[in-house]
Amino acid sequence: MSIDTDELIKRLSADVRPVSRLAPPWRRAALWLALSLPYVAAVVWGKVAIVDAAHVLADVRFLIEQTATFATAATGAVAAFASTVPGFDRRLLLLPLAPLAVWLASVGAGCIDDWLRLGPEGLAIRPDWECLPAASVIGIAPAAIMVLMLRRGAPLYPRTSLLLGALAVAAIANFGMQIFHFRDASIMVLIWHVGSVAVIAPLAGLAGERLIGWRPLGVSK
Amino acid sequence: MLDDSEQDRCLAELMARAQEGDGAAYGELLRLVTPRLRRAVKHRRRLEPCDVEDLVQDILLSLHAARATYDPTRPFMPWLLAIARNRIADWARRHARGAANEVANGELPETFALVSANRLIESFGEESFGDGEALARALANLPPGQRRAVELTKLKELSLKEAAAASGMTVSALKVAVHRAMGALRRALGTKA
Repeated sequence: MSIDTDELIKRLSADVRPVSRLAPPWRRAALWLALSLPYVAAVVWGKVAIVDAAHVLADVRFLIEQTATFATAATGAVAAFASTVPGFDRRLLLLPLAPLAVWLASVGAGCIDDWLRLGPEGLAIRPDWECLPAASVIGIAPAAIMVLMLRRGAPLYPRTSLLLGALAVAAIANFGMQIFHFRDASIMVLIWHVGSVAVIAPLAGLAGERLIGWRPLGVSK
Repeated sequence: MLDDSEQDRCLAELMARAQEGDGAAYGELLRLVTPRLRRAVKHRRRLEPCDVEDLVQDILLSLHAARATYDPTRPFMPWLLAIARNRIADWARRHARGAANEVANGELPETFALVSANRLIESFGEESFGDGEALARALANLPPGQRRAVELTKLKELSLKEAAAASGMTVSALKVAVHRAMGALRRALGTKA
C-alpha cells in the first residue's frame, strides 16, 4: 500500500469525469445485432443461392434452425452483456441454452433424416473450400464489436462473458452462412458450423482476462 | 437514523451525481462506503490490517472503473457488494498462487551436518566466502542493466513480462541480460556453467 485510503478517495473524486451510463443488456444486444447484421449480409451478398422463396418458406426444419440460430445469437449477446453488470441476475446466463438446444436438436434431426434418405452417403464429410473465405471473415466484425462493447462493462467474469460473446458471434455467423448454404447436408452443418462454435467459444473464454480484464486507471495507489 | 433502504437511496443518488461528474458527491459516496467495504472484507477473510486496506483500495478503484455500469434506478449496495465479492475472490486466488510458491520455514542456520553442504558455493578457495556475501559482491559488480534484470527475475521472482514492464526493457533484452548476468556470476563465483 503506497498511499492511504483517504488520499485515494481524494484523488478519485478529484479525477471523476462524467460517464455515459450503460444501456440495459437487451438494448446493447439489439445494438450489437443492428451493427453486425449488415456486415454479415454484406459478406454473404451475391453468394445467396437462387432458390424459390416459397420453397424456402416451406422448409420447416430450415426455418426452425435459422430461428434457433438467430435466437442463440440474440440471447448469447444479452447474457454476455448482462454478465458485465455487477449484481446481475445469474439466471440470465442460462438464457442461450434453450435456443442452442433447439438448434442442435434440429441439426441432429437433419443428420438422421439425411442418413435415412441417402444412407452412409448422407453423412459424408467433405471440405468445402468454396465457403472458406466467407467463413473466415464473416465473424470478424461481430467479434470485434462484441469485444469493444464488453470492455465497456465490468470484467467480473471475463471468461464467461467472452464465452457467451463468442457463442453469439458464432451463431450470427452461422445464421449468415446458412442463408447461402441453404439445404446443405446436416452433417456438414454439424461438423463445420456447430463444430466451429464448439472450438471458438472455449478459445475465446480462455483469452478472458487478457481481452476484458480490470484495466489500470492511471490513479496509482 | 436512516434505515437501510433510505441509506441505499441516498447512496444511489450520490452515485448518480458522481456519474454526472460531481466530484463532491463522489467523494462523499466513497467515504460513506469505505467502512462498509472494510467490514465486508474483514467478514470474508482474516487478513492483516495492511492487506485489508489494500483490498479496500482495490475495490474502490474497481468501483471507479465500473461506475458507468450502475443503473440509478436499482439499489446501490448490491451493485457495490458484487464488485467487492469479485475483487475479494480475485485477491484470494492471487494470494493462493503466491502462497503455493512460498515455503514457510524458520531460521535454519545449518541444514546438514556436512559443513560444505551449508555453503552456497561448493568450489570456493581460501579467498572465497561460500555464502551470500560473495554473491552480493558479484551482483554489485554487474553492469546496472544486468543487475536489475537479475534482481527482478531471480530475486523478486517476477515473470519476464512483469520484469520487462518494471524495467522498461523488452522481454528479449531482459532474457539476454539475465543470461549474461548468470554467466558473469558463475565466472565471478568460480562455479561451472
